[in-house]
Amino acid sequence: MMIDRRLVKEIDWVLLGLVLAMSLVGVLFIYSSAHYLPGGFHLRQLAWIGISILSLGFVLAVDYKFFVALAGYLYVLVVVLLAATLVFARLVAGTKSWISLGLMQMQPSELAKIAVILVFARLFAGTRSPYLSTGRTLAALAAAAVPLLLIVAQPDLGTATTFVAIVGGAFILAGLRRRAVVILLLTAVVLGIGGWNLALKDYQKRRVTTLINPAGDPRGSGYQVIQSKIAIGSGGLAGTGFKKGTQSQLRFLPARHTDFIFSVIGEETGFLGVLTVMALYFALLARMFRAVTKARDRAGVYIVFMASTLIAFQFLVNVLMVIGLLPVVGITLPFISYGGSSLLTSYVACGLVMNVTMRRFANV
Amino acid sequence: MPGERIYEDLTLVRRRAAAAFWAVAALTILALAAYWKIQILENRKYEEMAEANRSRMRVLPAPRGLIRDRNGEILADNKAAFTVSLIRENMRDEAASYAAVGRLLGIGEATVRERVALHRNLRLFEPIVIADGLEAFDVAPIESRRLEFPEVVVDSEPQRFYPGGDLAAHVLGYLQEPTPEEIKARPEWPVRPGEMVGKTGIERVYDDILRGDDGSVYETVDSLGRVREETGRVYPVQGDDVVLTLDRGLQIEAEQALRGREGVIVALDAATGGVLALASYPTYDPNRFITRFTADEWRQLTDDPLAPLENRAIRGLYAPGSIFKLVMGLGGLDSGAVTRGTTVFCSGATRIYGDVRHCWFAPGHGALDLVGAIKNSCNIYFYALGRELGIDLIAGAASRLGLGRRTGIDLDGEKEGLVPSTAWKREALGEPWYPGETISVSIGQGQLQATPIQIAAMTALIARRGSPVRPHLGPVDKSGPAGPGPRSAFAAEDLETVIEGMWRSVNDGGTGQGARVDGFDVCGKTGSTQTVSRASAERLAEAGREIKTHSWFSGFAPRNEPRVVVTVLVEYGGGGGATAAPVAGRIFDRFRQEAARR
Repeated sequence: MMIDRRLVKEIDWVLLGLVLAMSLVGVLFIYSSAHYLPGGFHLRQLAWIGISILSLGFVLAVDYKFFVALAGYLYVLVVVLLAATLVFARLVAGTKSWISLGLMQMQPSELAKIAVILVFARLFAGTRSPYLSTGRTLAALAAAAVPLLLIVAQPDLGTATTFVAIVGGAFILAGLRRRAVVILLLTAVVLGIGGWNLALKDYQKRRVTTLINPAGDPRGSGYQVIQSKIAIGSGGLAGTGFKKGTQSQLRFLPARHTDFIFSVIGEETGFLGVLTVMALYFALLARMFRAVTKARDRAGVYIVFMASTLIAFQFLVNVLMVIGLLPVVGITLPFISYGGSSLLTSYVACGLVMNVTMRRFANV
Repeated sequence: MPGERIYEDLTLVRRRAAAAFWAVAALTILALAAYWKIQILENRKYEEMAEANRSRMRVLPAPRGLIRDRNGEILADNKAAFTVSLIRENMRDEAASYAAVGRLLGIGEATVRERVALHRNLRLFEPIVIADGLEAFDVAPIESRRLEFPEVVVDSEPQRFYPGGDLAAHVLGYLQEPTPEEIKARPEWPVRPGEMVGKTGIERVYDDILRGDDGSVYETVDSLGRVREETGRVYPVQGDDVVLTLDRGLQIEAEQALRGREGVIVALDAATGGVLALASYPTYDPNRFITRFTADEWRQLTDDPLAPLENRAIRGLYAPGSIFKLVMGLGGLDSGAVTRGTTVFCSGATRIYGDVRHCWFAPGHGALDLVGAIKNSCNIYFYALGRELGIDLIAGAASRLGLGRRTGIDLDGEKEGLVPSTAWKREALGEPWYPGETISVSIGQGQLQATPIQIAAMTALIARRGSPVRPHLGPVDKSGPAGPGPRSAFAAEDLETVIEGMWRSVNDGGTGQGARVDGFDVCGKTGSTQTVSRASAERLAEAGREIKTHSWFSGFAPRNEPRVVVTVLVEYGGGGGATAAPVAGRIFDRFRQEAARR
């Protein structure tokens, strides 16, 4: 498939540059926090960055309308994969979210995010009215519910909550009537209470109670938050220095190279490092949300907005989670945390945004 | 497709998108503010927490100084003892681990679980001591399988060890963890929780000398408590040795002489007052205190009717019996109530204040002078002398000989005994003194109470012709003043008269002849105390003993330039001449042999 030279000119190189910059920051701190572990995590992450860049190239090469058209098939594929994961996957850290693809492992739940974005784009592309109709609302909820329930069953609460961001983002954009908002909130409360009592496992409940009182369980789920806060707090203004954070180097910090990598950054580079990474994110998100204005059609607007919401949601939840302002759910810091599937999803999401902006004038 | 126009009206959705972005921006700034609070405003607090997280100070216990006898032989030593601890975090299978460790240490799974349960509040990576005081032999099975048990930590630390077992147990004392009250009472005391400190005996009195300075290691540890780096080390300094005046050989002889009885043997260096042997029987093995008694073992020791923990030499209160006739003799001569030549006729019994009093020798001794009365321990002579002197002159003489007050030996818990007098009775009981009571006191009975160490110190004073010494075990410069008081001003010839009686008692067919040692000129006095208090009688019945009198002997040798003082008390031993004197003779003999060998 050839890419039109006019299209290449329209690629948002600044956005790509920001993504690559953050990815390299990620590699640096994956190295810092895991260099003493066997497994060469930073090298593996570099390999995943390569794969992600190739995938992004592929996403750019194909007109997003084609992806939107194929959204239904992708959706079915994802549901089948999720179901298969539940049946075949082995337990990793108490959850069945991984599927083995020979040398690599893949989390179908990550792929599901992309599928849901595309399905929603297709669903909402046709709405003209300023507010969503009841039928479409229920259809969207049903479409999100199937993969969501499969992911909750794994159980992977972190990924499941990102669906809330995607669905919520779509609804905000499409416009919900006040009555619908009330009904949805009530349903959420009822489901929340029911889920708390029936569906949530003890360790998941503890994560929430820990948020309220971290000292109540200092060796359990509170431990992560306490250690993470110690790491970040002891970083001060300029940090303890690269590879010199005692909290991470002496392994007090759990999940240092994955969910809690921002704590390592906070410890080793201090507030200045935190500020820098947040500035990068701000620039990236500003550019992504601005891309909404550059979409030429409704499907494009939805794709860009949901992709941006997804990244923004994960970023905010992660940085607030590691300082104990949100419960510890397994949400990675996009582009920076170690993890191939999560990295790939973030790149593909950005690819879709770039895809939409580069084709704003084109009528290919 | 409908709706797929190039210029669609997207104003509304774009406005919503912009609103969403600003919400994200606001939340980002909020997050930044939270980071500012933690990293800048509360930085110090978290830095301290990080420091505390990774720094650990481990105490390196200092070995105690050794306790040696006068010839340098070790009475209290240290040995490497092993402790076995478990780190729960490193366990692969908790149940299997408890079972295997219990089996390998031979203490059983239940004990391991009990120890772990006791310390379940410790953090997962903190080691829980499950057994201590182990020998290399005990830990070998587990040491050889360290790879299988990453949760097991074997440490060695110096531990007190008494190579002689129960040898000189009452002198050496034992170690115990100080109670919280003791720590509170001495805020300046540099004792660490769980440390074993001297509880009684030399271990207690010289604890400050014997205790070393603990060292410490400062370490950086990781989250599993594994040591990553040592950041500092202060080496422990062993405590100083304490050299006792004790003679190990004589001590062994003394303890063997008492084995199977209850009683005391004290041997003093007549020249210095240094204790050569101090045996109190029954005894106990202080090694058993080191590894922390079980409640049962404690009860067994403290409830034992024979009171093995009591140091009878300094805490046992006994009527001195006929030993007191030495006091009577000196008091009589000093006051002029008798002279060396004053004779009294003993017919075996006499009537005093309306009561018939008997001599121990029913046929009677006939006419005796003072020397003869001491030699034969004649009661009749001293009844007469007592009536002549009156209680207060008797008490004065006893007091000048050191009775009724502590000798000041460097052991804790010494008792002072009792010398009755009219003043004492008025104050203590609010009653007047009855002359009849004086008669009992005259032969060392009545309310009179003395410890064996007092009798030994008194004997030393007589042997040294009036110059008192303070019995002591530790180095003279550290054990306190040299003597208990000023020279007791008994006339030299009076002392010689009494000593003549003591010499004859042993060497001229007197009551003390059992203590005779050829060529060593032993001088001594026997005693038998008839008083059996109701409490002792009960103890005795419990122990299944037949009620007999306590048996005393106290003496010194040689007669001129005396070198050793020996005091023997055998509880319920019968007559002093029959039981205590031969035991004393054995000690004198052993002393002479050792002296000849060196």
